[in-house]
Amino acid sequence: METINIICVDDQSDVLDAVTRDLRSLEQFYRVEGAESAEDCLSLMNEMDERGESVGLVISDHVMPGGNGVELLQKISSNPIFKETRKILLTGQANHADTIRAVNEAHIDNYFEKPWDPEDLLATTKSLLTSFVLDKGFEYKDFLPILDQVVLLSYLKKD
Amino acid sequence: MTKEKWIKVFIALIVAIGLYFLPYDSFGVAINPVEKRVISIFALAALLWILEPFPIWTTSMLVIVTMLLTVSNHGLLFMQSDAAGTPYANLISYKAIMATFADPIIMLFLGGFFLAAAATKYRLDMNLAKVLLKPFGNNPKYILLGLMIITAIFSMFMSNTATAAMMLAILAPVLALFDSSDKGRAAFALAIPVAANVGGMGTPIGTPPNAIALKALADSGLNVSFGKWMAFGVPYVIILILISWFVLIKLFPIEKKTMELKVGDRFLKTPKAIIVYITFGLTVVLWVLGEGVHGMDSNTVAMIPMAVFALAQIITKDDLKGMSWDVLWLVAGGFALGLGLQATGLAKDLIGAISFDSLPVVALMIGSGFLCLLMANFMSHTATASLLIPIIAAVGTSLGTTLAPLGGLTALIVSVAFASSLGMSLPISTPPNALAHATGFVDTKGMAKVGIVIGVVGMLLTYVMMYLLATFHVL
Repeated sequence: METINIICVDDQSDVLDAVTRDLRSLEQFYRVEGAESAEDCLSLMNEMDERGESVGLVISDHVMPGGNGVELLQKISSNPIFKETRKILLTGQANHADTIRAVNEAHIDNYFEKPWDPEDLLATTKSLLTSFVLDKGFEYKDFLPILDQVVLLSYLKKD
Repeated sequence: MTKEKWIKVFIALIVAIGLYFLPYDSFGVAINPVEKRVISIFALAALLWILEPFPIWTTSMLVIVTMLLTVSNHGLLFMQSDAAGTPYANLISYKAIMATFADPIIMLFLGGFFLAAAATKYRLDMNLAKVLLKPFGNNPKYILLGLMIITAIFSMFMSNTATAAMMLAILAPVLALFDSSDKGRAAFALAIPVAANVGGMGTPIGTPPNAIALKALADSGLNVSFGKWMAFGVPYVIILILISWFVLIKLFPIEKKTMELKVGDRFLKTPKAIIVYITFGLTVVLWVLGEGVHGMDSNTVAMIPMAVFALAQIITKDDLKGMSWDVLWLVAGGFALGLGLQATGLAKDLIGAISFDSLPVVALMIGSGFLCLLMANFMSHTATASLLIPIIAAVGTSLGTTLAPLGGLTALIVSVAFASSLGMSLPISTPPNALAHATGFVDTKGMAKVGIVIGVVGMLLTYVMMYLLATFHVL
C-alpha cells in the first residue's frame, strides 16, 4: 500500500493539534504530519519524496513567520513533483488580494476560514484525497473504507 | 513490499519450484521438462492470483514473460535443449505466446471498450437509463426491477465495474433519503452488483471470463458466434434477474412508498453524438446477424467501431490511454496459460495418465461448476476462469461424445464461465461488490446471503438451460 501524507502547516501548535485531532479517523490510511513553518513543510515534503512516499494534501495557514502560506502553496503548485498534491488554505487573516492570489496562482482546492467546522474539514479532506489516489493511479481498493463515494464512483464510471 | 507480501511470493515460488521436482514418472505420468515447467508456471500463476501479492494483471505479465524465457523456441539457451544437447520437440513458438496480446478475442474486447467509452463520453448510457427507467413509475419495488434490468443491459456491453459505479452514483443520493431502518436500502445497494455480474453473462463481451471461454471453444474448433451466445445468454440473464429481484424484495422488504431517481438529461444531437448512436447500433446489429449473413465474424465486426471512433476523433489519444489495458493483459495471460497447456502436449499427457473415462460426466460438469463458483467468490472472476477453463476444456475434449447428452464441450465450458461470473457473495468477490459494500447500505452478512442464493440458483439454472438446449439439439 502506498504511503500518503497529509501535512498541516501552522506556527501555532494548538492549531496543528486541532487539525490532527479532526483528521484522526484517517490515520489508519494516511499519515498526518505537522510543520511549523513554510520552510519546514518544504523540507518535510522533500524527505517524503526521497523515501518514495507521496504528499496527498497540504493544509496551510496563511500568516506565519518566515514565509506566508499562499507563497508556500504557490511553490508546491509549480513543482512538477507535487503536481497532484491537493492544497487547502486554512486561515483567518487572508485579505482579498491574498485570496485572489491563492486561487489564481497557488490553485488551491479549498479555502477554510478559522474557526473551521471539523466535520467539514474531514469531509473535504476525504474527497480531495480520493481524487488524489485515483489521479495518481494508486490501488483504490487499499483505501476503500475512507474514500469519498461520490468522487470514487464518478471516476470509475469512465473505466 | 511488506513482509506479508514477501511471504506470499515465497510460498508461491516454493510450491512452483517444488512441483518441478516431483517424481512424475513414478505416478505413471510421462512428461518432459518443458511440460514440467508449464505445470510450475501454472501453479505459480494460480497461487499469485489467489494470494494476490501483486495486482492480478501483473501476474499475467509474469506468466507470459516466464513462458517466453522457459518454454518458447526463443527462450534461454539452456532451456531449449536437454543435457545431451538435443532440442526439445515441444517448445512453443514465441510468436504464438506474444500473439496472445492481440488475439482476435482480445480485439473483440477492445472493440467493446471503444463502444463503452464512446457511449459514456457522449452520455448515451445516462440518457438511455433515463428513457428505460421511465416505464417503471414511482413504486420502489418496480424501480428496483427497472434498475436491475438497465444495469444488466449495460453490463452486457460495458465493464461490470463501470456499470456498477454509474448506477450506484445515481442511487446513492436517493438511498440517503431512506429511513435508516428501511431494509430496502440493502435491496437497492445489492441489486446493482448482482445485476452487473449477471448482466455480464449475456454477451461474449460482457465480462472477461466469457473471453476465456470463447478462446477455449475456438481452440477446440467450436465457434460460438456473438448471436448464438446472446441467444442463450440473454434469456438466461432475464430469468436470473427476475429471480434475483424476487429474492431481494423478499429478503429486504422496501418500506418506502415512493421514490424518484434523477438520471440523465437530453440526448446530445451533435454530429459526433449521432455517429456514436449509429455506430453503436450498427455494431450490435452486425454482431447479432453474424457471419452467416455478412461474412464478418464478431471479432472483425468489433474493429469497425474502433476505426470509426478514431477517425471521427470521438475516441482521442487520451481516451485510448485511459482504457482498461490491464484487463486485456490479464486475459492475455490466461490465454497464454491455455496455450502452454495445449501446445506443449501437457494437457494430452496428463489427461492420458488420469482416467476420466470412468468419471460420470454429470459429476464432472456439476463438480467443475461448483468448484469454479467457490473459487470465484474469493478471487478474480477472470483469474478463476483462466485457471479452470483450459483444464476443463482439455478434460472435456478427452471425453468426446460422452458429453453430448449434456450439451457437449460447449455446455461444459460455458457453464464454467457462467460459474465464474456467479461468485458474488463477498465484498472481495468483485469490484462491483466492493463498491456496493463501501456505500455502507449493505453489510457483509446480507451480501453473503444474497450472493450464495443467487450463485447456487444461477448454477442450477445454467444446468437446466444446457440440458434443454442439448435435448433440443440447439447447442
